[in-house]
Amino acid sequence: MRLPVRFATLVAVSVLGGGVLAASRPQPLVPGMPTPDTGPRSFAGAADEGYPIENETLITRCSRCHEPDDQGRMTRISYERKTPEGWQTSIRRMMALNNVSIEPDEAREIVRYLSNRQGLAPEELEPGRFEVERRMIKHRYEADAGVEETCIQCHSMGRVITQRRTRDEWDLLMATHRGLYPLVDFQAFRTGGRTPDSDEDPRQPMDLAVDHLAEAFPLETPEWSAWSATMRPPRIAGTWLLEGHEPGKGPVFGSVEISAGATPDEFTTRASLTYVEGGLTMSRTGTAIVYTGYQWRGRSNAGEADELREVMTVERGWRKMTGRWYQGAYEEFGPDVTLTRVGSEPVIAGVYPRALGVGAGPTQIRVHGANLPSDVATAAFDFGPGVVVLSATASSSNLFTLRLTVDADAALGARDLYVDGVSLTEAIVVHDGVDRLDVTPEAGMARIGGANFPKGYQPFDAIGWNDGPDGEPDTADDLELGRVSVAWSVEEYTATYEDDDVSFIGQLGQDGVFVPAVDGPNPDRPGSRNNIGDVWVVATYTGPGADPDDPIQARSNLIVTVPLYMKFDPFDGIAPGRLVP
Amino acid sequence: MKNLKPINQKAGRIEAQIRREQLDVVGLESQPPEGANIPLGCSLVFFPGWEVDSDGGTAGLCQPVERDLFDCHLACFWPAHVPDQLNHSPDWTAKCASAQKDWRKLDLVFP
Repeated sequence: MRLPVRFATLVAVSVLGGGVLAASRPQPLVPGMPTPDTGPRSFAGAADEGYPIENETLITRCSRCHEPDDQGRMTRISYERKTPEGWQTSIRRMMALNNVSIEPDEAREIVRYLSNRQGLAPEELEPGRFEVERRMIKHRYEADAGVEETCIQCHSMGRVITQRRTRDEWDLLMATHRGLYPLVDFQAFRTGGRTPDSDEDPRQPMDLAVDHLAEAFPLETPEWSAWSATMRPPRIAGTWLLEGHEPGKGPVFGSVEISAGATPDEFTTRASLTYVEGGLTMSRTGTAIVYTGYQWRGRSNAGEADELREVMTVERGWRKMTGRWYQGAYEEFGPDVTLTRVGSEPVIAGVYPRALGVGAGPTQIRVHGANLPSDVATAAFDFGPGVVVLSATASSSNLFTLRLTVDADAALGARDLYVDGVSLTEAIVVHDGVDRLDVTPEAGMARIGGANFPKGYQPFDAIGWNDGPDGEPDTADDLELGRVSVAWSVEEYTATYEDDDVSFIGQLGQDGVFVPAVDGPNPDRPGSRNNIGDVWVVATYTGPGADPDDPIQARSNLIVTVPLYMKFDPFDGIAPGRLVP
Repeated sequence: MKNLKPINQKAGRIEAQIRREQLDVVGLESQPPEGANIPLGCSLVFFPGWEVDSDGGTAGLCQPVERDLFDCHLACFWPAHVPDQLNHSPDWTAKCASAQKDWRKLDLVFP
């Protein structure tokens, strides 16, 4: 049993201990990140697990409750690994419920230290990237349906699989949930009773969950020990080519100039982007921090209506980054992006329009890239058999405009582009018409709002498909043609008799973006029902190749539902009405 | 159904429903998603669910949500959806009008 210690004494000893630790080793420029002159050192925990804490701010601010042991390990903190968002959630809760006294900049330093020292390896984060990239996907946790059932009662499984803890810590996590939210016992953690003499496992769901999580997501893993041995701030200053796709807006190309910031893990950015369908161009300036040596967290055009937060993974090799830039009250808008490092060599990012019909007369297409020499001969643009380039004009080093024709008997399929030693696989696709459509996402969700809570929008794309050389739909040789121009409409999804959801839920714009109706009870609906409902979102294609009497259609299920009255992350300040162009 | 006629309102609605469902599918190329559509992060297993019910739709939700909201807040029933009164947000409803709080402003005598 621990002897009672006077509280003030404990704090004084802890603070002093922290000071001594900090003085004995120079504090690195990036909290938690070793530098060549302070390393090499091991990130490994103690023999019986747990990571010593060496950040002075963290020790000072947190040791009043999280008492350090003789190895510098602090209760709870030393036995967890998480994403920056995960550590942020913990600190926010400490501030909200446990009266921790801390300045925002100190909290940022602690998040950075812990994300670097007790973060996730890239392989560990990979299955949970949808969580940090704020993707609204359908997710199944394949490893254990019972654990999934227990956890997703309140939150996505992404929250769980982006953490690593000791068994004791997983136990304490359950205890914390039960302490803060007593109803969880009844809602998920414990069952109401068992059938006598049944073969069921007599343990409670929460105990089964701890068993599974302690095994599947332990504190120490080979992935983390390998990553923490090689981790360092990435040297990614330079020019990067951006290629992406934004649901509702289509392909986007551009370039991002990344410059070094105040510390090795901070960067500033200047980006110029072109949404090729509408020709919208924008320039963006931003700042970013790279956590754990690979987790890019940026913000560009801060404070503007088009502010975006940026979540990317810097891939090993420091030549590629992938992720998502987003905005919106429910993070529903924004492009999926791939950034590729550009040296002095020419690079091609993409071609628009990409889908070209057989027998197409002189058609203008644009080739987006970087370092494209202005003196490339027309004949150097080689799209392969059946495609004849008539002219090539350089608009800038990032853009070429071509005119080309496609033979009437050209073989159906994608073509690689070669230009003077540079290439792009499947740069264009030659097809003989739109045979069918897909509406993506297959299932969408919007949330009413605009009165007291922000609207949650849902953008849709209509993707055209050609049946390919075999002429049969849904076979491996089908050709994806990208977004096609369609008419959008909404149809009743008959779940309830005569609920007439279509009249109340909101409007689907002809750009494919669903704008939900206002929140609050609607006296015009039976029982003052909210403007929620289930509908089909229908895309109708009447373009070239479609039979006017039997147009090509496809549909997607849209759920328009109630707001979230609280988010763990604050709402992103989207005012009522459409803000996003 | 050709030779049967509905004799009450419910039977009539069933017939209309069947007709509507048949019309619904005509001319559409893609099939509805397999099984229920339950988007990520949806909490559905409580009774009846926050975003969707157990069939993946909104028909079975507690409606309007405002009818149930205060109780969710008090009981900490939806801790990831509604600010909970127990720990995080004891004052969430502080700005709401309340005769109990504003009793001095309540004039009971003068017309």
